[in-house]
Formats: sequence, structure tokens, C-alpha cells
Amino acid sequence: MKRREFVKKAAMAGAASTAFPYILPSGRLFARTNAELADHVVYVLFAGGVRHQEAMLKRYLADSQGVDIEGNIMYNMINGSPPDRKIVYGTTPSGDPDGSSPIPKILSTTLQNQGLLFPEVTAQNGGHFGGLTSLLTGNRSVAQGLKVRPNSPTIFEYLRRHRGFKASDIWFVGSGIGNSFPLLNSSAHPQYGTQYGANFVAPSVTFGSDGQQVLSNAKIYHPQEELEPIQRMRAFLNNTFRIKNGEVDGIRNDEDEKARIKKFIREIFQKKSTGGLARAPITDNGDLQSVSYAAEVMKYFKPRLTVVNLTNVDGCHGNYTGYLRSLHRADHAVGWLWDYIQNQIPEMAGKTILMTTPECGRNLNPNPIQDENDWYSFDHSGDFNTQRIFSMLAGPNVPSNMVVGSEANRIGRATDNVLTIAEIFGIKDAVQGAGFMDAEARSLFDRI
Amino acid sequence: MQTFKLILLGVSLILFSTATNSCKKDIVADFQVNTEDVLDASLIKDKAKTNKQFISIVYTTLFQKAVSSDALFRTERVIESFGDKFLINEVIISNYMNAPGVELPSDSIMKADPDQFIADTYKLFFVRIPSELEVSFFREYLAANPNVTAELVYTAFASADEYQFY
Repeated sequence: MKRREFVKKAAMAGAASTAFPYILPSGRLFARTNAELADHVVYVLFAGGVRHQEAMLKRYLADSQGVDIEGNIMYNMINGSPPDRKIVYGTTPSGDPDGSSPIPKILSTTLQNQGLLFPEVTAQNGGHFGGLTSLLTGNRSVAQGLKVRPNSPTIFEYLRRHRGFKASDIWFVGSGIGNSFPLLNSSAHPQYGTQYGANFVAPSVTFGSDGQQVLSNAKIYHPQEELEPIQRMRAFLNNTFRIKNGEVDGIRNDEDEKARIKKFIREIFQKKSTGGLARAPITDNGDLQSVSYAAEVMKYFKPRLTVVNLTNVDGCHGNYTGYLRSLHRADHAVGWLWDYIQNQIPEMAGKTILMTTPECGRNLNPNPIQDENDWYSFDHSGDFNTQRIFSMLAGPNVPSNMVVGSEANRIGRATDNVLTIAEIFGIKDAVQGAGFMDAEARSLFDRI
Repeated sequence: MQTFKLILLGVSLILFSTATNSCKKDIVADFQVNTEDVLDASLIKDKAKTNKQFISIVYTTLFQKAVSSDALFRTERVIESFGDKFLINEVIISNYMNAPGVELPSDSIMKADPDQFIADTYKLFFVRIPSELEVSFFREYLAANPNVTAELVYTAFASADEYQFY
């Protein structure tokens, strides 16, 4: 081959390998549109409707109960000193007033200082299901019905279809099975749907008292002598009765993934019985138990995307004191999870981007319900304050100690997060090009 | 007169002959298809069982008694708490197989008359008679794998796709 011909062919091959689409294991084609920014994303849906005044504005009781005490009770996530009086959000040492002992800080550097904070983001929906749907689909979800799967594809489906991730690469750890949470692991969209959905688990049920009775005594079949014959016979039976995708609601893992997940389930019950579960220092509410199991999922599977849904803050509908405690614990949960990733999961340490956003805010004005401290409660019925949320990122390729936007200059939308995750995994253009996103959504990296 | 009678008789015969031949109705051939079962109706299973139906049926099949309302409620919640229904159903079935009171045919019965065991298993789980292909597969598979127990066969049937439908 002449030199000129060789150079020409080499150049063409190089151009082709860059421009031509990758062929995925699923047989689909896509062109990765940008380099990956991280290997893993942990996305915390925080945490059941967070009132902006007690979170980003650090006003504690000042903007809610007419008591002039300010302070930051989320000191793992954002900068600021805690309140110095009327401490009710902590734990209760024996003989001390309720909640009078704040939970010690876990992170030596706040996530705000480690990463990128958008303190004034606009939520697209004032309800939990609609808000969560917009956080997971990147669509405003204005026509979204309750008790049905999202109309638009979720980030789970985008990543599995366009990035080729397996089901066990994507996990959605829910706080429970109420409020249609189990339906959020995939959309009902005909071009996507459950065949591209995430593995969903609600640990409070799967590994709680129900799961203990129903799952914990499962037989451990010998892989070759027992499991293999079962799989062989089942494969024959399934070949004579073919079902289409979507005919049974739910996702499907392949046989290897199923074997791993069954082993994981067994290990969790064993760890639970021996007290060996990963646990935050304080585990006195459901959210803190959820993050314990999320940490176990991450340690075992090293998922590319893990979504964790926290919800306890929603107690603010009827108990403001309880709300402060839950908000403080949600911060503890996020701080502990980030610390656990960096120190206990070497495969994810330094390779993971953490994202956190509430699905909605809460009303400016209270409802008439008073708690044990005579403090008023707050709903989230759709006023302007309900639209005030924040977004936070930390990890590799994320600018550190950067704040973008302010009360006077609101920057960011809840729907930005899906494009942000898509950009982290290199498929931003593919997701945007699919045509189901909020038209005004941008990757948060593009809003800097 | 005689001639007139003969002519009248002749005309009458001609008219009769014409009437009987020319006004005869055409026979319309009306062909129909005999109703014959060419596809076993029990094979048409297009409705997915609800979680409640699945639990009730599999429990009754394996324990020969109805599931308690408490166990039904708990099991239904567990299925809802996991995204992969097929996977979690397999774990539930294997939990049942480990529970006291599960009623399975003995391996000796299975090996003594595999054809009958296969037919009974298809009827028990899929409510239909197996095809010759299906009988043949299991007959050969069981013969070639003597370590396969009735429990493993039952587990395969209870976790098969067809068992999710009715």
C-alpha cells in the first residue's frame, strides 16, 4: 500500500470511528455526543417538599413561626452556622428536652464548598408525584395523571436505551410503595417503557417485616445442580409461550443479573440479622434507613445511576417540629451517603457525581395545624413559594465552591437534572433530540 | 272430436312439461365450515394475573389450602416493593418451597410414570394438556437428568411466563 493511500484510509477509518454510531449490546445505535464526566451518579430526591426559608435561606423559625431565631440546620450540605436557641431538631439524650442535641456534622467540607449550588431553581410541579416525575423525566409533566407511569421517558430509560446500561446498572431506591413511587422506575412511553426501566426497591417493605416473612427463608439452590435445571426448564416453557414487552408490568433482569440480585437479597437479610448493615450514625427515621439500604445497593452493584427518594420532610403538613427534625436528618443522610461512597466504596470514590434537588417547595403561609410547640404547619398547594427549590452537585468535573443564581436572579429548572445526568453520561444530545424534554430545560453545566 | 282431444292432451303435456322444467328453482349451493377446534382454547391466555391472583393461585397449588389474608396482604406488598416481578416471584416461590406444609409429588412417583407426571403438572399449573413436543421435551430431559426433582420441575412451572397469565 502506498503511503498516501495508507494515510487516506487511516484518516477515513479514524473519522468513521468517531462519527459513526456505537452498536450497543441491545442492537440499537447511538452516537455518544460528549465525553463522560463521571462513572457514577447518585441522585437524591430531597426530601418530600422542602420549604425554601428553612433550607437555602437558613431562617429556622424566623420566617415561619414569628420567632426571631435564624440558623442553618443542613450543615453537611450548605454553609452557615446552626441556630443558637430553641434547638428542637436534633436527637434526645436521656433527661434532656426533645430534639435538643443536634446531630454532629459528618462532612468536614460542605457539599456547597465541594461543588456547585443553584440556590434558586424553579420547580415545575407543586405535588409529590408530579414533582418527582419532572425530576426523573425532564418533562414538565403538566398532563401527568396519578397512579399511572410517567407519560414521558425517564432518565432510567434514556440511559438504558441510548447508553446501553443493563437493568442492574440502574437502581431506584424508594422510600415506600405509597404515592405510586413504584411506578416511577419507567414510563409508559411506547418507544421506551419497562424494557428500559430501572430496578426499583422499597427497602422498608422488601427488607422490612413483610419481606422478612415472605422472602427471608428463600431456598438457596445449588447453581449447577438445581438452579441450572430450573432455568433450562423455564427457558423451554417460556419459549413455548412468548409474551411481549409490557404485557406484564415491570422490568426484567437477565438470568445472571437475577442470580446476583437474589444473592444480594439473601445477604441483606443475613446482614440485618447480624447487625452488619451499613448505617448512618443516626437511623431514627425512614429516610435514614432508606439511605442505609441505598448504600448497600451501591456497595454491591456499583450502579451507574442510583436514585434515592427521601420523603420524611413531608411531615410538615401537620408537624413543624417534626419537619425540622426530618430536614436535619435528610441533610445527615446525604452527608453520610457521600462520606460512605468516598470511604467505603473504592470503585465509586472519586468517580461519582452527587446530585440533590427537592421535588417541590412548600407554601409561604401556614395551615392552621399546630404541633407540640404551638408552631404552625405548612402544605404545598402551589403558591410561588412552592416553586422555590435548589439543586446541588459535587464530584469530578463539577466546579467547586460555586454558586449560580440568587433570589433576584433565579437560575435553573427542576427539569434540568435529566439533561445534566445525560451530559454526565455523554448522551445529552440524544436525550434532547428524542423530543420529550421541557423545551426550556438545560444541562446545569450549560447554566454556569 | 277425437282429434281435438288428442291435441288438447298434447298441449296439456307440453304446458306441464314446460312448467315443471322452466320454473324449477335453482338449487343454491350453501357451503359452510364445520366447527372444529384447531387451537386449544386453553392456550389463549391473554390476561395477566394480578399480584393477588398470582399469590392466591400459587399458594393454593403448593399448599393445597387457601392463603391467609395476612400472608396475602404482606406478599402483595412485597411484590409491589420490587421492580422485577418475575424475579421477586421466584424468590417468593423458593421461600414457599422451604416452608413447612408444601405438598409436592414424590420423586419416585415422577420417575415411575414421567408422562403422567408431565401431564398432571401441565394441568395443575397451566390448566391444559401438554402438546406432544412438550411431553417429549420433559420426558427426555428428566431421563437425561436423573437428579432433577419434582420440586425443581414445580419451581420452573410456577415461575414460567405462562403461569402469569390466564
